[in-house]
Amino acid sequence: MPDNTILLGAVAYDAKVVPIWEGIRTHFQKQGVPMDFCLFSNYERQVESLLAGHIDIAWNTPLAHVRVRKRTGGKSISLGMRDSDRDFKSRVIVRKDAGIRTLADLKGKTLAVGSRDSTQARILPLHFLKQQGIDASSVKLMAFDTDVGKHGDTGTSELDVLKALHDGPAHAGTVGDLIWVMEQAAGRVDTRKLEVLWTTPGFDHCMFDALPSLDASKVEAFKRGLFAMKWENPEHRRILELEGLKQWMPPREEGYASLTAALDEQQGW
Amino acid sequence: MNHNNVSAAVAIDTGDLPFGGGMLALVRPALDLLQPGGVLAVLTRQASAPDDFSTWCKVEHHELIESDAQPGGLRLLLRKGGLGHARGTLEDGLNLAPVDGRLDAAAMLAQVPFPAHADPGTGFAPRGAMVEPGGPVYAFRINDLDHAAPPDVAELYDQAVAAQWNGERDIAWDKLKPLPRALQRAVGQIFTFLAENELSALYVPSRFIARLHPHYVEVGQFLSTQLMDEARHIDVFLKRARVGGGGVGISHATTSASLHSLLMLEDFTEAAFLLSVLGEGTFLDLLRYIEEHAPDEVTADIVRRARNDETRHVHFGMSHVKHALKHDPTMYARLEAAVRKRSATLAGVGGVPYAVQDSLTILAAGGTNPEAVSRGHNKFRELMDVMHTNRVKRLLNAGFTPTQAQTLSDLHTPNFM
Ligand SMILES: [Fe+2]
Ligand SMILES: [Fe+2]
Repeated sequence: MPDNTILLGAVAYDAKVVPIWEGIRTHFQKQGVPMDFCLFSNYERQVESLLAGHIDIAWNTPLAHVRVRKRTGGKSISLGMRDSDRDFKSRVIVRKDAGIRTLADLKGKTLAVGSRDSTQARILPLHFLKQQGIDASSVKLMAFDTDVGKHGDTGTSELDVLKALHDGPAHAGTVGDLIWVMEQAAGRVDTRKLEVLWTTPGFDHCMFDALPSLDASKVEAFKRGLFAMKWENPEHRRILELEGLKQWMPPREEGYASLTAALDEQQGW
Repeated sequence: MNHNNVSAAVAIDTGDLPFGGGMLALVRPALDLLQPGGVLAVLTRQASAPDDFSTWCKVEHHELIESDAQPGGLRLLLRKGGLGHARGTLEDGLNLAPVDGRLDAAAMLAQVPFPAHADPGTGFAPRGAMVEPGGPVYAFRINDLDHAAPPDVAELYDQAVAAQWNGERDIAWDKLKPLPRALQRAVGQIFTFLAENELSALYVPSRFIARLHPHYVEVGQFLSTQLMDEARHIDVFLKRARVGGGGVGISHATTSASLHSLLMLEDFTEAAFLLSVLGEGTFLDLLRYIEEHAPDEVTADIVRRARNDETRHVHFGMSHVKHALKHDPTMYARLEAAVRKRSATLAGVGGVPYAVQDSLTILAAGGTNPEAVSRGHNKFRELMDVMHTNRVKRLLNAGFTPTQAQTLSDLHTPNFM
């Protein structure tokens, strides 16, 4: 059956994913772009489904994105990202009573990290620390492998890291800057106990990915629908707020170079 | 980057406070004072502040314009974003003060007047509050001043609060003496009828409180005093029906049909008109009749107190309807249509329910002596005339023409309410 409906995949990491994509689908329909979505429970299956041609577009985490890049020999089509996906950072948080003043002081200490598939809470902070001369083997790694398959979307493992810092036994921990700042803004961080030791270089986050074989008309239609969403429009704004952005941005690849290097180094592919 | 031309409208010194340990508690209220685009200068000795603010501003849609080292710390310039900004103005010029030690609702309303229209998107935000956008749109249906709030509603609320009484202690229950059997039964029947009607007066206004936009909360406050009044009336009327052994009597289908048609009303103004102006208005005459012919002072006291409360309810209804009539030229026709429609649904239900009619007759007769009953019957007939005359007066007062008033009064339910 010939069908020009764009089928998009997204991972259901939270109940709000349903109203987000229902809303975006309604918006696309108003733009004359037929679109539907299906939800996956983990990014691995979503990536395989994209590569197998079961879906047209995947809304991917940075980890899923670089995997798609690698599996397609760099030929996949990147379609767009959120403004908030650019220039993410990770933080190394320490207990003030742990006697850690420099990165070198981390050696021998207990370092809490997030899920093994969390870019911001584990993969990249460990990569950037290694660049600074702190190898994972020189610390006592305390890993919170929660919500594996969601690639850190739920933030659960980052909250686990913060809890291990507050209540012990962690001396230091790695979290994304978003969680760190928003937990502070919500008054849930005891700043008498915790402080920032170090902030990593920036990196980019989620991306819409498609196979190079995707019909050019679908590529154009998707971009047209996506970039027609405006913060000023109350219907759009409700969706954008839920999805955590104010503006969709064109894609850029340079923000994923550090993650690619980290996966090579950590054999994380 | 050179930002020398950016000057901050407000500057705050947050000292050594950490970002999540008090700094935001100073920064956020300072930003609230600015319009979108306004610039706030933050002085801090926290080295991580630029990183924290960079991320926080991204999420909150503000802009971190610059951060530079100053003697004794860092100076950050934040430009307030327009997204998620609470709309409204702060109530800095408010002049709300007690008079003679009292602070009444009318004084508050005078300082923070009703808006002509209210936006259901402000939810339960109190009138005057700055409302952060993005909240849900509530299903409030009464969103216009003209259909919600008469101008004197705050005074009526103040009066109602001051006039509350206690059905447990304020009535001299211990002074009630047993009555002759027939009179006792008549009293039981009359107070059964009153309580049944009071129940409708409790239910009907309650339906509109949840539909009322909270910016007209004084109307809700008044209605809640009305609900309290009706609850107390139900309480004391049923006590009066049962103390002394009379017991409750018959509930007639005519009464049930009449009250059911009130409960079906979906429009607040129509309900105020049918329930308060026509129904409770007619009840004032009924209560006066019962007081006049009461077999004892305790019974007279009960209905006198209830009538005082009902006078307020009628006043509110009149005020509401007059206000709506003044501002909505279609209202006369709508109210007339509502009366006609109700009358049509009640067609064939008959006259005043017989047990009510007979009990009011026996009450006025003071017993079952045939001559006295004849006098009682005449009193009852006079009551019907008084009710009609006073209804017409109220309708004329509301602004209806004499012909309209006559017609509407004639179409009124034989159940009184
Ligand atoms: Fe009442
Ligand atoms: Fe009443």
